[in-house]
Parts: sequence; C-alpha cells; structure tokens
Amino acid sequence: MTSHLGRLYALAIAILVFFLTWTAVAAQPWAATPQADPRLKALAAREQRVRMESVAVNRIVRQRWAVYRKQLASRQAQIAAAKHAQLAAAAAPSVRVVTLPPLTVTRTS
Amino acid sequence: MQRRAFRAMGTEIELFLDAPNGDAALVEAEAEFHRLEKLLSRFRSDSELSRLNRDGAIDASADLVKVTQLALRARERTGGRFDPTVHEALVAAGYDRSFELLSQDDGQSRAARCGGTVRVCEHHVEIEPGFKLDFGGIGKGYAAERAATMLGAVGPCLVNAGGDVAVRAGAWPVGVQTCSGTLTLELSAGALATSGRDRRRWRREGRELHHLIDPTTGTSADGDLLRVTVVGNDAIDAEVWAKALFLVGADAAEAEANALGLPCVLSTTDGRTTTAGGLQ
Repeated sequence: MTSHLGRLYALAIAILVFFLTWTAVAAQPWAATPQADPRLKALAAREQRVRMESVAVNRIVRQRWAVYRKQLASRQAQIAAAKHAQLAAAAAPSVRVVTLPPLTVTRTS
Repeated sequence: MQRRAFRAMGTEIELFLDAPNGDAALVEAEAEFHRLEKLLSRFRSDSELSRLNRDGAIDASADLVKVTQLALRARERTGGRFDPTVHEALVAAGYDRSFELLSQDDGQSRAARCGGTVRVCEHHVEIEPGFKLDFGGIGKGYAAERAATMLGAVGPCLVNAGGDVAVRAGAWPVGVQTCSGTLTLELSAGALATSGRDRRRWRREGRELHHLIDPTTGTSADGDLLRVTVVGNDAIDAEVWAKALFLVGADAAEAEANALGLPCVLSTTDGRTTTAGGLQ
C-alpha cells in the first residue's frame, strides 16, 4: 500500500518536473531579443517628425489666421465707414439757410 | 395752400399741401397717422408693438416688420447709438406712460440694460427675453414719410410730425429753434428732425431725466448738447442721426457731421449754436 502510494507521488512529481522543464525550454531564455524591424523604426521616426511638423504648421496657421482676421476686421470697418459716408452723403439733400419767416418749426419731438 | 393739424402719436401733427382739392388726401394722410399709431405705440396695450413686447415673438404686419428692420439697420449704422431696445431703460427712468400723464417728480429711477437681440425672419419678429422695443422716434419718422408720400402724389407737401419734418417738392421754410432765436432752413426735398433734452423731461430723486437714452449707460444721456437738428434724405434717417449725434456731445457731433456731410444745427446747454455738415 505504502509502496503504491509512493509510486503515485513519484509519478506526479515526475509529471510536474516534465511540464516545468517544458515551459522553461519553450520560453527559450537563451534566445536574444529579436531585432526590431528597421522599417517600423523608420515609420515611428517619420511619425514623430510629422507630428512635430504638424504642431509647427498649426502654429503658423493660427498666427496667419489671427493676422487675416485682424486685417479682415479692419477692411470691413473701412468698407462700413465708406458705405456709411456714402449713405450719409446721399442722405443729405440740399438745404440752405434763408431769412424767410418759417412756415412751421421743428422742435424736440 | 391747405393746412391740417391734429394730434397723434403723442404730439402735434401738421400737414401742408400746395394743391387744389387736396382735402381727401389730407384726410387719408391723417388716417395713416392714426393707423400707424395703433400699430406702433408702446402706450396702447392693444397696439401690435405692445403685443410683440408682451409675447416676445409674433407674426407681425408689414409695417411693424419694416419699422423693426429700419430700426435695426439704424442701430448698425450708428454703432448702437440708436437702439430700439431702450424700452426698459425708458420705463426704468420713469417714462412709463404717455408723456402727458407723466408726473414730473415722483418715484425712483434706475438704469436698465439695452442692446437686446432682435430677429426678423420674413414676417416673424422675435425679441431677446428681458428686452422690449420702443419706436417712439422712428415711428413718427416712418409715419411722416408715409404721409408725405401720400400727399406728394397730389402736390408739393410738408409733413411735420412733432419735429420730424418730411417734404416733397416745393421749397419749404422750416424754423429751427436755436439758443438765440429761430434759424430758417429752406428744404426742397428730404427731411429734417430734431432731438433734444429741452422737452419730454421730468425729475426723479432730484435729477432731471429725459427721453434720450444712452444705450451704453441705460439711462438719460448726459452731455453738453441741448438740441440737435439734422437734415437727411428722409425723416427716419434724420431722426436716427439727430439722436446719434446728440449722444456724442457737441465737439464730436460737429466733427462727425462734417465728416459725413450731414447738415445739422447743434445747440448746447451753455447757449451756443453751431451749424455743421456743410450747412451755411
């Protein structure tokens, strides 16, 4: 009985040792870390460069947009002032001061 | 020369028509004033303007839409100095009923915000909550123009709606009150209007207030001008610019009138009268 139980334990331990060994061998700890693909490295570098370029371009676009908006506002103000002046000029019919007695009087409405 | 005088829009109206048999036209012109008063008065609870002010948005008549659009355009052209949304500021200052019924020294006054948003889409007019419209001045100008157009079809005419004067054809001598008397301007076309603080004024808490609201402060405008008369292409334009120039004070008003070529007469509170904008 004791001998039978001992064999069973020995078998279990042997199986455990076998699987542990298998796992260790399968892990290939002696193998060197594989080299990264140079194409991937180039791609990552390019991505980094494009990101930096896009930040720079965005900054330039923002600056130019601000300058454009400022110039546009200034131009619109000039156009509005010109229209305003045109309208006002058109809105001023000929009138003159005379010495006649008035027919009616304008006063604060 | 036929003359018809009556009262409408809280002021005296005078119609002059230089044509024979113009009675019917004069009657029609008077009826037009009363019709527009029913639409545009803020003191009549049954007016279309009061309904708009109560409800905040309505499908409005063509006249109300037109006057609203003219007022909004005037606000844009004057950089906000003319503002149709001064209603609450007028009420807060104490001008909460027809001027004849206003007590001269009673209660308190305060400032109120102006510059509310107004949207017009076809016949739908909508006001930003918290604001109401007042067409007191521009409404008279609009009515004067309408009446002048009606009478002008019959003959040379002059319409004086409490200071907003519109003429068609002819040469009309119109008196302008100045600090030293009356200056007569001969007007053959277009219009003129006067805005000032010498009438429609009252007192609140010892302070003299008047109906010309400065939209930037939301209360009666302070400044050195007593009265401004402006000659314009039509009575609406003249009314708008008279108010806009009044708000900036004598020196700035003179400079602006000269720059714009806007004939005007400026009377100051210290008794000076100046003409500008090419008026000589």
